[in-house]
Amino acid sequence: MKGYLWAAGAAAACTLAGIGMRPRFELVNIAMVYLLAVVLVAQRYSRGPAVLATVLSVAAFDLLFVPPQGTFSVEDMQYLVTFAIMLAVGLVISRLAENVRAQADTQARLAADAQTERVRSTLLASISHDLRTPLAVMCGASSSLAERGEQLSPQERQALARSVYEQAREMSDRVAKLLQMTRLEAGGIRLDRDWGSIAEIAGTSLSRLRERLTRHRVVLELPDGLPLVRVDAPLIDQALTNLLENAAIHTPPDTVIRLRAWRAGQELVVSVEDYGQGLAAGDEERVFAKFEHGAAEGRPGGVGLGLAIARAIIVLHGGRAWAERLPIGGSAFRFSLPIEAQPPMPAEAPA
Amino acid sequence: MTTILVVEDEPDIRRFLRSSLAAEGFRVIESPTAERGAIDAGTHRPDLAIVDLALPDYDGRELIRQIRGWSSMPIIVLSARHQEQMKIDALDAGADDYITKPFGVGELLARLRVALRHAARSPVGQILKLGRAVVDLARRRAVRDDAEVRLTPIEFRLLAALARHLGMVVTHRQLLSEVWGPSHVGQTHYLRIYLKQLRDKLEEDPVQPRYLLTETGVGYRLVADDDQVNAMRDR
Repeated sequence: MKGYLWAAGAAAACTLAGIGMRPRFELVNIAMVYLLAVVLVAQRYSRGPAVLATVLSVAAFDLLFVPPQGTFSVEDMQYLVTFAIMLAVGLVISRLAENVRAQADTQARLAADAQTERVRSTLLASISHDLRTPLAVMCGASSSLAERGEQLSPQERQALARSVYEQAREMSDRVAKLLQMTRLEAGGIRLDRDWGSIAEIAGTSLSRLRERLTRHRVVLELPDGLPLVRVDAPLIDQALTNLLENAAIHTPPDTVIRLRAWRAGQELVVSVEDYGQGLAAGDEERVFAKFEHGAAEGRPGGVGLGLAIARAIIVLHGGRAWAERLPIGGSAFRFSLPIEAQPPMPAEAPA
Repeated sequence: MTTILVVEDEPDIRRFLRSSLAAEGFRVIESPTAERGAIDAGTHRPDLAIVDLALPDYDGRELIRQIRGWSSMPIIVLSARHQEQMKIDALDAGADDYITKPFGVGELLARLRVALRHAARSPVGQILKLGRAVVDLARRRAVRDDAEVRLTPIEFRLLAALARHLGMVVTHRQLLSEVWGPSHVGQTHYLRIYLKQLRDKLEEDPVQPRYLLTETGVGYRLVADDDQVNAMRDR
């Protein structure tokens, strides 16, 4: 539609220009001005506007400039050639321009595909590394048990069986995270919201991580009277578990992990603070990307999805998740959840 | 000999359940389908059933409903992660507890023992030992460190509802219905508030409770001291 308006506008502009030029220029030069307009419209828009620009130009040129003026009759047959050429040029140019545009589109798409492909292969490499390592341990240890079990001492058998068990649990956790990330990205998760208490959810997260947190000192600052939030509790539990797990993985033993929550206006803020080496400047956003591990350390464990999953869950709830560098060293991983009008409680006589 | 029915379609999972349960002295009946499970439950009259929720012929929840039609045997369901609604449906259909795949055998045996013990004893008039707190449900008295703890009537009713399923999970819906009545089954926030009050009064660390446990998205579980000791031993 826009193209057709431009076509009409271009023909009108040329006509005005032609009227200005008429006293001093040959007709053929005015025709050239029209031709320029046709070319411009044709290379900018599709064939339809190009044809319209040509038809309008030819009509205006014929009506106003070609003798006898004021009629569509043509005195000199040469002008028919002019018209034919204008039309042909318009069509050819619009066709050429369309080809060029199509090629540009294809190239942009190919470039995007290549980018996606690069990301995908990096992800696959990362995933297969994270899954193959536990699989290799499980294969090796279980084959020892199955084929050489009788030659091993009970202690050795026990140790091998235990490592199969531990690696299997680790692997199960990683696969669960991958599936969860896929589900979150595919938009396949429907929130099952209900009233939840962040202190209660924190309790379940902490109890799930008991083994991973034994070497840290966990300090809780969850004051009484925090508002209830309308959340999908298992998902928030998972987000918080991931933040706590992240803190446990990335900080040295015997350091403090602080879990705090407070009300800030119409939001509830939950903060997991650690006193490790802290984030590198500029890493506050990067750590939430998929398959990212902090810059400083190698690969201390996990598939690098914990924080990305946590953020996706919080965003699904209408909240925000972010990281901050703490002025005293260490880092804070925080999320906010919207606070809704609190539900009414039934009255009961005090005990 | 205690007989356990295992309704599970994966042969490898059946094999590991069979060997672990047999090693503990249980007799194991295996059914690969829900239909077979319904028949085996009728002919073998097991003491307890372990039911996978994802069965090839029909839904494990339907099988639970069928068994509940004629038997009160304890039923433990096996479910996948992130399937809270399925767990809730199974529990509301009459299952007593659930265990999430993948699980270790210690966890399964602990659940199983609690359910078998629960089936064997009558919970009426029991005295709950919750660490430093002791609650006499029949006399409606609670003591902590030898000082009386005042519980409101609703707090007592809630504790009693949990104690009726001691060691096992009780869904939000079941609790709300038993304590506040069937018209209040949607008021989950009552539970958030009252469980916090109970924990404040009875638990040493209310945020990291040892007795009044949260089953996120599903319900609550009350664990008393004797169950804790058994759960530890099972590990």
